[in-house]
Amino acid sequence: MTEDILQVRGLSTRFFTQEGQVNAVSDLDLTIERGEVFGIVGESGSGKSVTARSIMDLIEPPGEITEGEIRYRNADFAETVGDDHPGAVDGEFVNLLELPPAIRQSLRGTSFSMIFQDPESSFNPTLTVGEQLAEAVEVQRRASARPRSTRARTESEEYSLGSLMLSTVLPSKKYVSDESRERAIELLELVGIPDPVERADEYPHEYSGGMLQRAMIAQALAGEPDILVADEPTTALDVTIQAQVLDLLDDLQKETGMTILLITHNLGVIARMCDRVGVMYAGEIVERGSLTDTFDEHVHPYTEGLLGSVPDLEGANRRLQPIPGNVPTLLDHEMEDRCHFADRCPKAMEDCLDHPPEFDADERGDHEVRCVLAERDYDEGRALPPDYFDETERTAADKHADPDRTEEDVQPERTQSPVEDSGGGGL
Amino acid sequence: MTMGKFLVRRILQGVFVIWGVITIMFGLRAVSPGDPATLMLGEGATQELIEHVREQEGLNEPIYVQYFDYLQGMVIGDFGYSWRSNRQVEAMVIERVPATLELAIAATIVAIVIAIPLGVISATRRNEPSDYGATLFSLLGISTPNFWLGLMLILLLGVWAGLFPTGRRPVGFAEAVTTLVQHGSVYDLGIWLKYITLPAITLGTYFTALITRLTRSGMVDELGKPYVTASKAKGLPSVLVRYKHVLRNTMIPIITVLGLQMGTLMGGAVITETVFNWPGLGLRLIDALDARDWPLMQGIVVFIAIAFVSINIVVDALYSYLNPQVREE
Repeated sequence: MTEDILQVRGLSTRFFTQEGQVNAVSDLDLTIERGEVFGIVGESGSGKSVTARSIMDLIEPPGEITEGEIRYRNADFAETVGDDHPGAVDGEFVNLLELPPAIRQSLRGTSFSMIFQDPESSFNPTLTVGEQLAEAVEVQRRASARPRSTRARTESEEYSLGSLMLSTVLPSKKYVSDESRERAIELLELVGIPDPVERADEYPHEYSGGMLQRAMIAQALAGEPDILVADEPTTALDVTIQAQVLDLLDDLQKETGMTILLITHNLGVIARMCDRVGVMYAGEIVERGSLTDTFDEHVHPYTEGLLGSVPDLEGANRRLQPIPGNVPTLLDHEMEDRCHFADRCPKAMEDCLDHPPEFDADERGDHEVRCVLAERDYDEGRALPPDYFDETERTAADKHADPDRTEEDVQPERTQSPVEDSGGGGL
Repeated sequence: MTMGKFLVRRILQGVFVIWGVITIMFGLRAVSPGDPATLMLGEGATQELIEHVREQEGLNEPIYVQYFDYLQGMVIGDFGYSWRSNRQVEAMVIERVPATLELAIAATIVAIVIAIPLGVISATRRNEPSDYGATLFSLLGISTPNFWLGLMLILLLGVWAGLFPTGRRPVGFAEAVTTLVQHGSVYDLGIWLKYITLPAITLGTYFTALITRLTRSGMVDELGKPYVTASKAKGLPSVLVRYKHVLRNTMIPIITVLGLQMGTLMGGAVITETVFNWPGLGLRLIDALDARDWPLMQGIVVFIAIAFVSINIVVDALYSYLNPQVREE
């Protein structure tokens, strides 16, 4: 039986920078089922990593989650926090954004875990890999040793600065226990690192990139998390190692049945690993559904563009089709209330000047698209002229001051086309 | 092993540096005006006596012979005799080392105890009032001249408030400890502490400000690194992320600066020692300079150079011990 383990509803994460407010993630919905691999794919700067970090509670100032819910299903946890934070609990679900930071921190490592893009910089260069893994094991050990109450979760066993200072003279006060060190070696073995006993005492720079990524996976698995967030886990690796790391993730997922949220810009990785996919653009999920929905029955022109820009071996002579233009800046004052992809979209229509809601692309209800094409066919007669956005950009400054003028500028072209092609399709 | 090789190389480099210092000092003496024999004997010495001394001291030899004689003396630890007091230079240097060392260590302790917590607070509470306070303090500390600060401290805390004595100190650390051991009395130690407080603050302020800045910027830098996010992601308590990981890595470059600064403090306490009449090497160097007592001056400068180079080697060794990435190479 499948059930939702994570529901993200209307999540908005913004960064308040000196250039202005950046809407890195806007009104994002996302549902992940227990035991599945959910992929998020998109270009650089589309908000994939910010989504991952929002779920992990790793957003730091000037960033801030401004709206939304992150609902995590865990009956035990819901019971535990229910007494102190009844507002956050809804049945078996807990809205993580209603919880204080200390409790959210206690979920990291044990319920949520994350692996990062660049294994070399994601390990502390001055501590051995074994020590760093053992820390992750210790987090889990201490968490499970605690009685089930919110207060105990956050306060009782908190490792203080005093304990840390004492640990320099009293070995018994050290955070990491010998048992954890032994478990760290087992974990290294589990992810296929040869000579794990010797390797545990080596420093990150003595590992190769692929081995370090394996070690990072081991570290993320130390707490036996429900959900593993993998943020571009293979991007920094060369192709043969990529395949090995993906195989490893695949095997571990099958063994443990954990849920994986896989973030990548690589459609090949998505196709190989994922059950369901969300395509991200400009801080929004523009299309989400099963692998078949997005790869074969996609509706959004952006998904089409992404797939068109991937080389495939069978059609080796085919020219790659890049999507023209760049990802928008996501600065709030530069974002207009329209489909954010319209300026790069080959099928932009007048309807696209209104920000589209999520449409249900088929009757089954799990293929959602943020594009008017889900509701009506492309109508050349209503198409925006190719230079439409060049002009509005130029007049963008005037537009705010005098909205009527811009309206007039655009008007002639708009009224002209429906007359010519009135029978060309449409609804 | 690699570490042995590394040390041998550094020691050879150090020897070369010290040779350079000796040579430059000798060159300066050779080109500076004034006849050494006249300086030694003072005004009114007879021509015969001057000639006699010139002969005795080898001052009539060609310059290169004088140079090699001098170098030879240095190698066997013979720094010559002071022209003024006619005492052995080695003895005159060694007797002043403890006071300077005490002051340098006290200033370093002041700096470490104040600067590192201040830097950590500043870095972890960025753009909050405590950060602004720490930044302002370090700006003031870096831009306050030593001699002025020393005079102000004497005036305010010494003379007006009467909290600290201001004259030449009556006991050194060694004597104070001897009293403690022999008579079980901390009285002398208290006196010693009273006398060293103001000079240590004066000498340590710039240094404190510098380390505060370095700790802050180093820690801000480290806190932004991906491994910090990764440590948080694995659920590590923030105390451990902040201190076991971040502060530890921040300290690696700071220990280098601390070590180098120790070397500077050994030789650079001249102003502070003069202001406080502190019986250390710096004060003796000034006296030697006033008297144009070249052998003493040379002796002090060469000693400081040796101390500086040795501290550097120790710091490098320590650095490679702390940073496993350097250890390999």
